[in-house]
Amino acid sequence: MITHHTILGVATILYLALFFLHILYFATKKKGVVQAAWYCLWATFVIQTAGIGMRWVESYRLGIGHVPLSNYYESLIFFSWSISVLVIIMKRRLTYPAITFAAAAFSLVLMAYASLAPGVDKVIQPLIPALQSNWLHVHVITCFIAYAAFVVSFICGGLFFFGSGRVVPPADTLDDINYRSIIIGFSMLTSGILTGAVWAHYAWGSYWSWDPKETWSLITWIVYALVLHLRMTGGWRGRKTAILSIIGFASVVMTYFGVNFLLAGLHSYAT
Amino acid sequence: MTATRSNNGKESEPAARPGSIFRFLTSVRLAIVVLSLIAATSVLGSVIKQGGTEEEYLALYPEKTYHFIKLVGLDDAYHSPWFYFLLGVFALNLVLCTLQRIRRLAREKGAGKKSVPDVKALAAGGSGFTVPAGSREEIFRRLGGSYRKKPISDTAILYEKGSLSRYGVIVIHTSVLLILLGGLMGLLGGQKGFIVLHAGEETNSAMSRSRGQRAIPLGFTVRCKDFRVSFYPGGEPKEYASDIEIADAAGKVAKEGRIRVNEPLSYGGVRLYQSTYGMSNLFTFVVDGKRIVLGEQEVASAGKAPFMVARYAAEVHNFGPGVMVAYMDGQEPKTIWFLSKVEKMKTHMIEGSTVTLEKIDGKYYTGLEVARDPGVPVVLTGFGLMLLGLYITFFTFHRRIYVVDEGDRIIVAGAAPRNKEGFLEELKKLAEGLA
Ligand code: HEM
Repeated sequence: MITHHTILGVATILYLALFFLHILYFATKKKGVVQAAWYCLWATFVIQTAGIGMRWVESYRLGIGHVPLSNYYESLIFFSWSISVLVIIMKRRLTYPAITFAAAAFSLVLMAYASLAPGVDKVIQPLIPALQSNWLHVHVITCFIAYAAFVVSFICGGLFFFGSGRVVPPADTLDDINYRSIIIGFSMLTSGILTGAVWAHYAWGSYWSWDPKETWSLITWIVYALVLHLRMTGGWRGRKTAILSIIGFASVVMTYFGVNFLLAGLHSYAT
Repeated sequence: MTATRSNNGKESEPAARPGSIFRFLTSVRLAIVVLSLIAATSVLGSVIKQGGTEEEYLALYPEKTYHFIKLVGLDDAYHSPWFYFLLGVFALNLVLCTLQRIRRLAREKGAGKKSVPDVKALAAGGSGFTVPAGSREEIFRRLGGSYRKKPISDTAILYEKGSLSRYGVIVIHTSVLLILLGGLMGLLGGQKGFIVLHAGEETNSAMSRSRGQRAIPLGFTVRCKDFRVSFYPGGEPKEYASDIEIADAAGKVAKEGRIRVNEPLSYGGVRLYQSTYGMSNLFTFVVDGKRIVLGEQEVASAGKAPFMVARYAAEVHNFGPGVMVAYMDGQEPKTIWFLSKVEKMKTHMIEGSTVTLEKIDGKYYTGLEVARDPGVPVVLTGFGLMLLGLYITFFTFHRRIYVVDEGDRIIVAGAAPRNKEGFLEELKKLAEGLA
């Protein structure tokens, strides 16, 4: 029987194809391959969206219906989906294939990790009462679009050190895309933190309680606020922005993965 | 794009020659240092255990480290004097910086309206174009849709759009201040506690969360009429809810409602949240013929001498559930076990009264979080303003286009400090098909 797991498996394979299409382009430098890669990305996006939709429908068939944005597995899938959405939105600026290549690699790793890692529970679970809130949806969606934007920013920061050519954009272009991603990421992260705070206010009676996840999202937010101010008033560009966006992304990784794995041992709860 | 905009260009004016300390306090450099320190403290706070007991710390760290942690207040990093100091400096910095920016904007306002920049140079630099005089009406028509028109002289007209964008940063910074203010209000005027009630019980105070568990008087009475919990087929809780009745100080019912997770009930500035639930035991005793119901740690004074339910055990030496009762035999504390499944152990004499354990019932209780936080409306307003500010700062942009009549030709040129690329695209569209 075809379930959403089948469909999401197809999406993973398509990400793999996308990855190899880019490698093919790097080897042959044929323009047509880039075009094919964009078609492949579109197909992947449609299939992955369908997979997420099917998981949603299946949860209703199980009598525990909810939007698939509530556990670790679902967030990994949504993270990889958000990266593709962002790449599609920014298509006009991403004319050099190095960025789309790295983005595809990110999505692929997230999908592969979600389906292969033993610690990730793939079963559709019922929602505990605290998660039964519309704020959950807004909160998760905004946070993951922010994370996806920071992935793009990180890619630009990393590529800065590779030297431009036909594959890697020139420094100015990288810097421009990086800045635009940070703007999207910062705005969305702000929305994510604020909706999270409003939700906590309704669910637990306190909009901020300094739990490690909240704290790390604040640290990430401060890092990117620093990036914006150093850029605006200190004129930090190019190499400095590139380094800052790598540091910022390290903080994102800590917020999303690290808190669960590194700090769980110190605190009695893990979110 | 805007990197050339200088921040200290205006500071040498006579009216605003600030002392160097004042200049330091308004500087972005200070903001960067303080924000970095706030972030660094937060990192430490997330790594070091917060609010633990001395034993817990000594189990985790060497004694010297523990004393250092205690000294610097890192065992409660987010409420340490150090952290409050940072927040204070940060707030002061932001207030001064924002006031300065408002003043600067007020001074700049209108500057662009009165004088026309060198449009020829702008056009030569790519931020403009020249068209024959005949295209004048078409240019006006194209600009007229979304730009505001401000004639400057007989030959020059300014078209402006997105001028609100310049105020975005002020809105964002003000919103940060509002959130800090709201947090402070909550800190000074807020209270938190929790209430535990079985169905049918009532209370007029809450327990404070801090160590020592002081009772906080509520000023009204909370009665739990009913508590219900439902489960998914797999056994996880699906929904739990308490039917609550609130009586004012005079005893009159003032409010009734159901509290669910994510759906609090508010009364008189206090909000009640469905926080937890659980099962606890109620013990029915018959004391000299009178029936009383006790919870754990509760004291009965129905008999000749008071006694207390000290401890419950689900299994006492394979004899089934039992409860240990404590009482004073003269000056001496004594304990005695009642076992509900063993006939001989159901009844004991306590200081001349006959006490019988009739039954032990497991009963759900509801755990309600109680919070009074006068800062919440301020914080929520700050949230809204912050999103608005981000939107107008980053997703709208200010641009000015000057249309200068040179007799036989028209020069159209302008500038957009924030989004040069987007502006150039707009100019290209504007020029399309003319010339
Ligand atoms: C967490 C707190 C803060 C947040 C969220 C924040 C946010 C922002 C944002 C989003 C911008 C626009 C950046 C851009 O256009 O790329 C900005 C600009 C700016 N901020 Fe802040 N800021 C904060 C604290 C401060 C503080 C404490 C100062 C005090 C000196 C400050 C001074 C400035 C200045 C001078 C600008 C440039 C304004 C301009 O020239 O347009 N900010 N801020």
